[in-house]
Amino acid sequence: MSYPRLLRRTLLYIGVTAFALWVLIPIFFIGISSFTPRNEIYAWPKPIIPSHFSLDTMRFFLNSYGVLNSLLNSVWVALLTLAFTLAVGAPAGYAVARFFFRGREAFRLGILITRMFPTALLAVPLAVTFIKWGLYDTLIGVALIHTAMALPFAVIITTGIFMGVPKDLEEAAMTLGCSRFGAFARVALPLALPGLAAAAMFTFVISWNEVFAATILTVNNRTLPAHILTTIQASPLYFRFAGGFFMILPALLFMFFIRRYLFHMWGGATAER
Amino acid sequence: MDVRLRKFLGTDTLLPYWLLLPSIVFIGIFFLMPLFNAIMLAFRADNGAFTLDYFKKMVADVRFIEALKYTFFLAITIVPLQLITALAMALLVNTGFRGSRFFLYLFALPLGISDLAAGLIWLSIFTQHGFLNSILYSLGIIERPIYFISYQNIGLTFLAVVVAEHWRATAIVLVILVAGLQMISKDYLEAAEVLGARGWKKVWYVILPMLKPSLQSALIIRTIFALQTFAVVLALAGDIIPVLAGEAYFWHFLYRNSHIASAYAVFLMVISIGMTWFYLRFLRSRMEVIRG
Amino acid sequence: MRRFGIIALALLIGSVAGLAAQKITWMSTQFVPIAEAEFVRNEILAPFAEATGIEVEFIGAEYAEFVSRVEAEYEAGKGEIAVLCGLHGDFVSVLDALADLSEVSPGGTISDTLMKLGQMGGKQAYIPLMQATYLMVVNKKALEYLPEGADIWALTYDELLQWAKNIYEATGMQKLGIPAGPKSLLHRFIHGYLYPSFTGYQVLAFDSGAAVKMWKYMQELWQYVNPAAPTWDAMDTPLLSEEVWIAWDHTARVKQALIERPDDFIAIPSPAGPAGRGFITVLAGLAIPKTSPNPDAAAELIEYLTTPEVQVKILQGVGFFPVVAEAAGAVPSGALQILAKGVSAQAASPDAIVSFIPGGISDEYKKIYKDTFFKFVIKGEPVDVEFLRSQATRLRELYLEAGAPYPAPDGG
Repeated sequence: MSYPRLLRRTLLYIGVTAFALWVLIPIFFIGISSFTPRNEIYAWPKPIIPSHFSLDTMRFFLNSYGVLNSLLNSVWVALLTLAFTLAVGAPAGYAVARFFFRGREAFRLGILITRMFPTALLAVPLAVTFIKWGLYDTLIGVALIHTAMALPFAVIITTGIFMGVPKDLEEAAMTLGCSRFGAFARVALPLALPGLAAAAMFTFVISWNEVFAATILTVNNRTLPAHILTTIQASPLYFRFAGGFFMILPALLFMFFIRRYLFHMWGGATAER
Repeated sequence: MDVRLRKFLGTDTLLPYWLLLPSIVFIGIFFLMPLFNAIMLAFRADNGAFTLDYFKKMVADVRFIEALKYTFFLAITIVPLQLITALAMALLVNTGFRGSRFFLYLFALPLGISDLAAGLIWLSIFTQHGFLNSILYSLGIIERPIYFISYQNIGLTFLAVVVAEHWRATAIVLVILVAGLQMISKDYLEAAEVLGARGWKKVWYVILPMLKPSLQSALIIRTIFALQTFAVVLALAGDIIPVLAGEAYFWHFLYRNSHIASAYAVFLMVISIGMTWFYLRFLRSRMEVIRG
Repeated sequence: MRRFGIIALALLIGSVAGLAAQKITWMSTQFVPIAEAEFVRNEILAPFAEATGIEVEFIGAEYAEFVSRVEAEYEAGKGEIAVLCGLHGDFVSVLDALADLSEVSPGGTISDTLMKLGQMGGKQAYIPLMQATYLMVVNKKALEYLPEGADIWALTYDELLQWAKNIYEATGMQKLGIPAGPKSLLHRFIHGYLYPSFTGYQVLAFDSGAAVKMWKYMQELWQYVNPAAPTWDAMDTPLLSEEVWIAWDHTARVKQALIERPDDFIAIPSPAGPAGRGFITVLAGLAIPKTSPNPDAAAELIEYLTTPEVQVKILQGVGFFPVVAEAAGAVPSGALQILAKGVSAQAASPDAIVSFIPGGISDEYKKIYKDTFFKFVIKGEPVDVEFLRSQATRLRELYLEAGAPYPAPDGG
């Protein structure tokens, strides 16, 4: 490899490593804190690596009243949200990607505008409505509002995905005798699957991390962030660390499994050269 | 009849509208309705009379100017910073070196971290007896902990918030930019190289202009969120740095006056719309240049 | 002779048997949540029944139900409820229906300060049962910097200032902590502790000369308060991480620090200002309605509930602190004992000015006190009487709009 090229490569690697460290170090800190023995958490100076690792904090957290329940609730809500969002958002994305219809830009702009109002404040009028409809304090209720929150993203992402699927292929399928839906199902959908998976991941994470609406709309069936937020006042520091770490972990894992599709989020493939 | 309807709608079929229907209904019920109610709260008193009192009260509030100031400063400090960082990260990853996919995953990690957790993480770093001070102290650089978070040094506190927010939200911008970069047709890039534009030149004269739509989207989305999120500011800076979204929250939950809370929210919304219009106007570019 | 003896014995047995079969009804606005009600029935009333033979039926009631039932029985001239438990405000609403309890002796020593609070309408309307409050917690490391002649069990605000100053001059760190975060209880400190201690009132003297002095004092004190205070909602973490050595907060928000390290801290009364030692008490008490079917048994229950042992049980079960002086020492050692000692000492201070939490008005009053604090103390602007006056006007408006009386000590 020529000298300037080598130099460039090295700089490149230094650059990405620096950025990677920047991202990882804070996560490392909270991970460490969750496994630090209780008496060392308050020490000054705080040890970067604790003298010994302890599962105490995690165990205490997991055994705390309501944690496992709320964990399950969070999973349920996130999965429901995923299902609803894709079911409702994917068709919309397809429509915007494929058709040029009156109101197209208005729809896209409108979707964006819905996110301009602080969602925390929406939850309260919604709570009143939910009580009337019997959806208050139910997991479905929370999933529904999470879907409303994730929908704009889902539509934007699926629009991009379907835009990345060449129209010609579908048209070819149709000339060969497929119905419009058939062309969609056999041609567009499989090609879009990776991207849809990425959209699913995004939605899952949004729902998993959402705190305010979940707190306001539930009393007994809390999700994990709602549970942590409401108990945080009375909880000791290590509890909060453990809670924080626990919230992060599933999201990180989920993203790891879908990482291949991160590139496909907006359509278009990339190859490592 | 049907044909004329279709012609009017500008499409040869009613299909797109059917496909859009579920989303519209959904957003209508679960978003627009409560949104409408919430907005109405800002204009309507308990007895139903239309009034601007709540807005007057909001503006006369001792903390309004502070909150406005800080919300604004945070937005104009964080957003450009994030844009530059995300662009750098995106360009690096886009070169497609070995392992770039893995690095992209790493860079995108903060996407999965909620505001709550992010606030907690950075608090544990910046607090008086937190990690940063502990490291500095152990290395002998300081004798006593530095008050990073202190009303006596709002500048430092502001910086801490900027750092934390930057860490948390750059991934959002990154993802948008990466997508935009991928959509740039290879042909253009090859043509550019053939014509002698390499390295920095290529970036400046070819890539950036083609990235404009993505940059625009990223700017808009990130600014809207920057105006709204206060979880990290609250966790790190509490009452030292008031922000508009925080005031809305407190008026509703602590002081139990939803009218004024809604007034703040409506004000925020108006600012967001204003900034979006500003971006669209002055960063005008052709919509979606490349299509598949 | 013998026949007389047998009859006497029969009568005796009969009366004892009659005594053993007593049953009374106790209506209460406290201990209503299921867990607490069960606790009261199993841990408190069951042993009472065993010891005295009096069975107590415990009925939890919301304020509205409480008031309507008591009033109804009073009007009818007779009733089923033998004994009542409620907050101070609950009893104010049914004052006429309550009997005078001056003759009833509690099972332990209750300070005059608290007993006086139960005196309304010219009689002892209720006997205090339990209290919740806010106080100071101190890391023992701070004790060596205490100013000469200061008694931590009877500190003044000036001494507090000097103390914090001493620590700062010796260590270069600001080790005083008052929670000033958005979700903190700062407003309680201002309206229930500062204002009464300096001006004697919560509302009436909001913009008085004494208030100006108070705000100037706070500006000085704030120099020695940890600058991260406006981010704190609770003091337990700062105490544990030792970012703070002297803290003020609600007992529930410092408890964690004492549970983790009981040997490092002590709890002491809040300081006293020129007008006295102002502090907030959330006070619950026991009363006997005039229409009680069994006032003697009721008095026995009251006596039982105010014995040190039962007071300790209540603390452990529900988290409300004893009103009885002997109870503080009877609490098993640990966080609760430390807190109980502080609470007790505070309640028994000779210069006490008891404040009650404002009730029945819009929560905006919290913001009025907090905003004033934010302007003068955190931002450090010079104390401006005009601003105080406009805030005072707004505050009075809130009370007028709601038709609510000013809380104690303003004479509500």
